[in-house]
Amino acid sequence: MNDNGAKSGTSPEAARAGERPWESTVNGRPVRLPVPPAKRLLDIVRDDLGLTGTKRSCEIGRCGACMVLVDGAPVNSCLMMAYQCAGRDIVTIEGIADESGLHPVQRAFLEEGGYQCGYCTPGMIVSVKALLDAVPDPSPEELEEALSGNLCRCTGYGGIIRSVRRAIEIIRRGND
Amino acid sequence: MLLNRRNSGDRWRIRPDGPGKVTGRLAYLTDLTAPGMLYGLVLRSPHPHARILSVHTEAARRLPGVAAVLTHRDVPGLNRFGIARQDQPVFCEDRVRYVGDAVAAVAAKTPELARRALALIEVAYEPLPTVDDPELALRPDAPRLHPEGNVLHTKTFRTGDTGPIFARCAHVVEETYVTPRQMHAYMETEGGLFVPGPEGGLTVYAPTQHGRMDRLQLARILALPEERIRVVSSPIGGSFGGKDELNVQPYGALLALATGRPVRIHNSRRESVRAGLKRHPMIIRMKTGTDEKGRILAHRVRIVADTGPYASLGAEVLNFATEHAVSAYRFGCVDAESVSVFTNNGMSGEFRGFGGNQAVFALEGQMDRLADAVGMDPWEFRRLNLKSADDPGPFGQPIAKTDGLAKVWAAVERSRLWRERKAAELSESSETGGAPVPGNCGTQAAVERPPWMKVGIGAAMVMHGAGLGFGLPDPSGGRLALRKDGKIEAAFGFEEFGQGLLATLEQMLIERFGFAAEDVRIVIGDTDAVPDSGSSTASRATSMMWRSLGLLERPFTEKLLRAAAEACGRPARQLGLGAGGIWDRESGERVLTYEALAGRLTEPIVCEAGTSYPVSDTDIVGAHYLYAYAAVAVKVEVDGLTGRVRVLDQFHAVAAGPVMNPQGYLGQIEGGSSMALGYALLEEAVMERGQYVTNNFDTYLIPTIADHAGPVEVMPIEDLPEGDEHGPRGVGEIGSVGLAPAIASAVRHATGVRINRLPIDPALLQEVLPVGETAVMRGER
Repeated sequence: MNDNGAKSGTSPEAARAGERPWESTVNGRPVRLPVPPAKRLLDIVRDDLGLTGTKRSCEIGRCGACMVLVDGAPVNSCLMMAYQCAGRDIVTIEGIADESGLHPVQRAFLEEGGYQCGYCTPGMIVSVKALLDAVPDPSPEELEEALSGNLCRCTGYGGIIRSVRRAIEIIRRGND
Repeated sequence: MLLNRRNSGDRWRIRPDGPGKVTGRLAYLTDLTAPGMLYGLVLRSPHPHARILSVHTEAARRLPGVAAVLTHRDVPGLNRFGIARQDQPVFCEDRVRYVGDAVAAVAAKTPELARRALALIEVAYEPLPTVDDPELALRPDAPRLHPEGNVLHTKTFRTGDTGPIFARCAHVVEETYVTPRQMHAYMETEGGLFVPGPEGGLTVYAPTQHGRMDRLQLARILALPEERIRVVSSPIGGSFGGKDELNVQPYGALLALATGRPVRIHNSRRESVRAGLKRHPMIIRMKTGTDEKGRILAHRVRIVADTGPYASLGAEVLNFATEHAVSAYRFGCVDAESVSVFTNNGMSGEFRGFGGNQAVFALEGQMDRLADAVGMDPWEFRRLNLKSADDPGPFGQPIAKTDGLAKVWAAVERSRLWRERKAAELSESSETGGAPVPGNCGTQAAVERPPWMKVGIGAAMVMHGAGLGFGLPDPSGGRLALRKDGKIEAAFGFEEFGQGLLATLEQMLIERFGFAAEDVRIVIGDTDAVPDSGSSTASRATSMMWRSLGLLERPFTEKLLRAAAEACGRPARQLGLGAGGIWDRESGERVLTYEALAGRLTEPIVCEAGTSYPVSDTDIVGAHYLYAYAAVAVKVEVDGLTGRVRVLDQFHAVAAGPVMNPQGYLGQIEGGSSMALGYALLEEAVMERGQYVTNNFDTYLIPTIADHAGPVEVMPIEDLPEGDEHGPRGVGEIGSVGLAPAIASAVRHATGVRINRLPIDPALLQEVLPVGETAVMRGER
């Protein structure tokens, strides 16, 4: 994820992006904002767009509470600056659900109780969605790797693992 | 029967706060904003101990966009806070005693301006010697941190002179246990929104575990009547005891009142680490002796707790640690002496388990060491010395009788893990001609593992008190009402910080009264809207909701049915409460919806109940009356090359009365055990000369999903003795206690290395040099 950011950061287009309003797609809608190029995506999402489902916690990319999708890849939004994600497709927890109201991953977390205080949950669900989009039936090792950047202090992860298994089941049934 | 979704059937429910949490729609108090709000920041001391020579705020005040800069001169009321003892300065006057001490606070139009304003405040300090070792702080020549000296509190419990008894013991074990400064590491750092009201009032939206206590504390500081302050305290992104004490509230409140504008504060993680509470580091010395057969005759305990610069709940935590250092077993003669000491380290305070975690780690370490000394199986050794159902509590006080200890003991004895350990030992002793060899648990597994990977199984017992204990007011209560819109409103002065309180309350209402979830509206965490329920701490809320609803059931049901009878013209005795409204029990039809009933009322039906947490008939402050019991077995794998310990398999038996909410119960035990795993293997907020070395999650490591391996089985033991009136005991804390000593025990079983310090240092478990076929562990003597 940092690689992506670094690439766009070095491109001349991105370096000049600050002179123009920041433009991206957020949850399927085009967004145009006059923000400085070094503004963190986390602050754009929470403060400028009022999407507070993305949470602020460690601000050093360790906990995953601020995880969003940028072009489908999970990114700690506290580590990404405006210029790095200009013109990209950004999805926050608020944009995960489909028209029916809940994404299968969200339904699975609800049913299995894969959350307690809920503060890590949006970031966790974003990471799980990204994983299952890429790997529909992950091995335990793949699951461990995909979620080891999302800290949860409440559940001990048992409920989260059960939720992911349940989500795989729901998605598979939905696709059958 | 194991607790899981399948075995819970319909009782496994979707939490009422779930949809908001999985969609991100739930607004936490740190997500709130208000038009025209300012951003607050606090200037904290860079020194662990210093005299303040001067504070100049003029430059900061002159900065455009800065609305207020406050110091101790701007506190209208008491410039101190603390739940039990008000000794912590809101703003320091002439001296700072830790790196979180506040000196000034600012409110500005943007976070950037607030930061710049902080940098413009000039404080001149004269550093003073740092007292960073609690044992050195007790020396007569140590710098005095408070006029009364460096002792916050002592606790003594003695039933006689252990000296002569040790002299005639067949086996005596003496050990010093050292426990770390554990951080709560709630994912949501402290913060909130502070909104001034008309006529000098204030609404505080900030997490706490006891809204009324915050209101009382803020009233003192602001010199405002409590009625002018409204505290909205829920929902919370994790607390674990860490947000019970005031944190940012005084600053937000003072800034909002000073500027007349809403003020928002949200701590960075670094500031949260620096200013926030931690679990008390303790040094626990125990000397315990038995007769030849293994019966404990004497138990001596000395605890030194590092409470940091101010009291908070340090005294209460020490009382609890002392009580639990002499719990669960019959000790013969007990001599316990504990002291909680002021230092210039970080603030210590309330943390899930409340001193029991430290004490039980030490106590269970003693049990394992004594069993070895006597030559007994460690679990059998515990059974021999276990308290019986008729025994008094740890301090000799009367307690509610249950046979929880015997039952959780038996559950582990029969568990898959313990049987595996026994089978392995049997096969080994036949292979080696008697002497058990550590580290080859499970013949099958031993074959598959390289020789430097050792496996062991260990177990530990826990007896955990709930409620605030004797000597502290512990009132509670709740209210039920049928409101105009037809909702059954349940109001309690509790908070939801993830434990599942809302779900538990909803489930109790459904199961006790027959309501449907849609019939019910729950109101918590708002001092303007709820009755006094006491704090959401000490594993007490579930008990108190159960008790309050028990008191409310009859009067509320009768009132509803009487009103319904009048409305529908059928006799009240023929009617009953049910899903969606009032039902005719004979015809089986619903005769009136709650909405229709509410519409017929001239005034709402309201019932309120007041109660309080049951206390022991004793005069020992802090002694408990209700206990929950747990036994934990765990299997670990120790890598002799890296010294790392991996938890493979856990079994938890918990005797805490009936399970009110299966998902919540399971979550508390699983989640609590994860905290204990971190405590045992990873977590320590390291301080050097009064400064935090670990400032964020890059160096302070909490368990990740990669640390969670293998099954976690939870077996609730629900039965209580006939006639028990106390119902469910809370399980919010007990899950966080037993796994750490069980891991230490399993590591010993795997490697032969005894653990007396947490978190376990991998260096102790690295094999030094292979000698022949057997690796020699460094700690093995």
